[in-house]
Amino acid sequence: MSVTIDGKLFDFKPGATVLEVAREHGVKIPSLCYHPKIGPAGRCRICVVEVEGQKGLETACTLAARDGMVVSTDTPKVLEVRRMVVNLLLSNGEHNCLSCEQNGQCELQDAAYQLGIEAPAFVVDGPPAEVDKSSEMIVIDRRKCIMCGRCIDACNKVVVNEVLGMGERGHESRVVCDTDRPMADSTCVQCGECSQLCPVGAIIDKKAIGKGRVSNLTKVNTTCPYCGVGCQLTLHVDKDANRIVKVTGREVLPNNGMLCVKGRYGYEFPSSPKRLTQPMIMKNGKHEPVSWDEALDYTAGRIKEIVAKNGSDVFSAFGSGRITNENNYAIAKFTRAVIKNNNVDHCART
Amino acid sequence: MDKQVREKIVAITEQYSSPKTAVLSALQEVQKSGSGYLKQEDMAEVATLLDVPLASVYSSCSYYSMLNRKPVGKYHIEIDTNIPAMLAGAGDLLAHIEKRLGIRSGETTKDGLFTLSTVEDLGACGTCPVIQLGDRYFEEMTPEKADKLIESLKRGQIPESKSKVVVGGDRKVLLRRVGQPNSTFISSYLKDGGYKALEKALGMKPEDVTAEVKSSGLRGRGGAGFPAGVKWGFLPKDSGKPVYLICNADEGEPGTFKDRQIMEYDPHLLLEGMAISGYAIGAKRGFIYIRGEFAWIADILERAVEEARSSGKLGRNILGTSFDFDISVHRGAGAYVCGEETGLIESLEGKRGNPRKRPPFPAVSGLFDCPTIVNNVETLSLVPFIVEKGEAEFRKIGLPNSSGPKLFGVSGHVQRPGVYEFPLGTPLCDILEAAGGVKGNLKAIIPGGLSTAIMTAEELGDCNIPMDYDNLPKRGTSLGSGGIMVMNDTVSIPAIALRAIEFYAHESCGQCIPCREGASVIKALLSKMVAGKGTKEDLETVLSLTATIKGTTICPTGEAFSVPIEAMIKKFRREFDALIQQP
Repeated sequence: MSVTIDGKLFDFKPGATVLEVAREHGVKIPSLCYHPKIGPAGRCRICVVEVEGQKGLETACTLAARDGMVVSTDTPKVLEVRRMVVNLLLSNGEHNCLSCEQNGQCELQDAAYQLGIEAPAFVVDGPPAEVDKSSEMIVIDRRKCIMCGRCIDACNKVVVNEVLGMGERGHESRVVCDTDRPMADSTCVQCGECSQLCPVGAIIDKKAIGKGRVSNLTKVNTTCPYCGVGCQLTLHVDKDANRIVKVTGREVLPNNGMLCVKGRYGYEFPSSPKRLTQPMIMKNGKHEPVSWDEALDYTAGRIKEIVAKNGSDVFSAFGSGRITNENNYAIAKFTRAVIKNNNVDHCART
Repeated sequence: MDKQVREKIVAITEQYSSPKTAVLSALQEVQKSGSGYLKQEDMAEVATLLDVPLASVYSSCSYYSMLNRKPVGKYHIEIDTNIPAMLAGAGDLLAHIEKRLGIRSGETTKDGLFTLSTVEDLGACGTCPVIQLGDRYFEEMTPEKADKLIESLKRGQIPESKSKVVVGGDRKVLLRRVGQPNSTFISSYLKDGGYKALEKALGMKPEDVTAEVKSSGLRGRGGAGFPAGVKWGFLPKDSGKPVYLICNADEGEPGTFKDRQIMEYDPHLLLEGMAISGYAIGAKRGFIYIRGEFAWIADILERAVEEARSSGKLGRNILGTSFDFDISVHRGAGAYVCGEETGLIESLEGKRGNPRKRPPFPAVSGLFDCPTIVNNVETLSLVPFIVEKGEAEFRKIGLPNSSGPKLFGVSGHVQRPGVYEFPLGTPLCDILEAAGGVKGNLKAIIPGGLSTAIMTAEELGDCNIPMDYDNLPKRGTSLGSGGIMVMNDTVSIPAIALRAIEFYAHESCGQCIPCREGASVIKALLSKMVAGKGTKEDLETVLSLTATIKGTTICPTGEAFSVPIEAMIKKFRREFDALIQQP
């Protein structure tokens, strides 16, 4: 089955939407409310396309691709609607890219760029929207919120914490926590999934504010060290300062982008001055740095000595949730095969 | 929340397959039984009782205008200020009451006795100005009557309120029994030959009933005019799921006040229509989603349902057959968008009334994701006639493509505002004549509820324009719900345009950007114009928005304001230009 998008023929799997087919083949259609993890939303209307033989425009995120369908993504009518949507958002909010944390990683900015909008076509004064800085890790900047609803879906359908909701209606609509409480007084557990899915700079990570612009940060993919689940992370690193600025979850297994509060926000320890970076041995009542060889020889010697003196049963090994499965396997193997007992335990067992 | 309220809520939940459905009903019960508003603790209790996240309870609660989240006075006076009310002098009434109580709209008197609010269209366009006080309406208000009302309330007495009705036309089918004594009781309905059509229908095959309705050409009377029989035909065969029938009684389009006359004065006509339709489509369960403001009408319907049940016209084994069908009356809580069928379904499920994406259409996946048919009160009330007299008799009324009778609500500047029943295709002049003629010099009419394009006196000529589903579109407007708003030359069209967009901006559900932000921007620009501070660019911006918004929103609301605003500006451009600031 195939669909024609902007004159090019693309094959697709049954059930795919036009937006999915387009994205798979590098055809750029902006979307503000759609996110692959949440599925078709159809609310922002910016992903409209024209379908041959059909009156009116369709939203690409909700439009199922049909065999033989002919779609245009850049007709004057389509561009007019897109421009209107972006202009309406720009005119009603306070979208100041100069100092925005998301500058360079903002889907509204990208859409404006694609459409060649330099400044809003008209300006309307509205009541000032407030910023909720109450919580430890997350800032809700309602001045920049475009009410796309991604965060609400993220909270209710992805992580199922059921804290965020849409309050009021119409232009008064606002993303609220529980019964419109400040985030800090709500039932929010600060998992940050809302921040990860926000297409603009309305929900951002508090600790990263002012610590580095998107373009100056290097992305490093790694595995979360906190527990055995093995969540996949991207560290956003300021290489000059040798500092992690923020952490996002990778949209891959096992976590599909989701993280817990520790994995997402507990990232200072690698640069902690208190961190142990080399082995030390207590000498004359003081810990002194030594080489790995010396440390290992010393430890092996002491184990041998103790076991020889008191029998193997005095030895027991504790693995850790923060090391890899392979490390833990090696600990168990060593204990059973070398020491010859079964005294193996684990910090996450109790 | 006391024990009694809790028990009542639990009883409500038992009507539905999912307790979540009762969120709005529960909040309404708590509000009514308590201090007149909902505290955070109340919402938390409802959330726990119905096992719904607190955030969803708040989301629903804050969506509906009848649910208060701030304390209100002992008496909450709410004045409808929408266009029909505006034409009938609601502005003066509001100013009078503000002065009298010494408070502005939105405030409460120091003694805590009165809160004054303005509200959007209350569905009383023929009897404006109207005051809503709790679950009652006080219609045809004047400053003097308002003084009396306030005096009485100060003495602690809520006066009797008898809702007013002016009906007319040939009244052959729908309004036949309105005005008769005891018309709401089943005994009177049976005496007039009621429920005979149901008996006849139950002797037919369901598909034959559908075929009869299909060939009658009955078109949906809610506004879109979609053929009812065709809609029923979209139901999937043997989906294995229950089929639901919903009666849309959320009459809220400014200018429309027709359905309430049927429900208030001839409820069994609607119930019979629903039972027959339920039989035809294979539904066992029906809901009447009635706007919450029509509280006393909902009471009438509930009593009628009870009567019908105890005389075997509803419930199990209807009229001794194997057909089971029952009806619940479900009260809305104040949101225009819930008149849109998918918004209505969401609201009936206890959620915000945000319209759904289509497809799937409700006939395939509607209430609780089951096949659902949503029909308007007037549409369903025409079904007994079609079944009893036959489709050919029905087609004798009206025009070939617009068959049957239609209710026309006439409001604004006419001598006798009211609801008039005429065959579709009746010339406008005949309807206006029945309404006693235009008061003053005709300037314009809005022919089918606020969302239809305005027509100027020049276009109307001698008003010999057939009112039906084909002739009005030929003239660039539409029949809509049949709510005719008449304006004489004392009216300023820019002021009407501003009031219209204020309404839609207030009622936009807010989920899609063109409607939410578009209505708000147009409102800001028109407000600037009416204040004499507008520019030519502002007017062009409004026109470019109305042109682009059409057809880009999830539900028809975007179109519902773009079309009338654009028509008002284009047809009365000179009035708008006159407001533009000269450089």
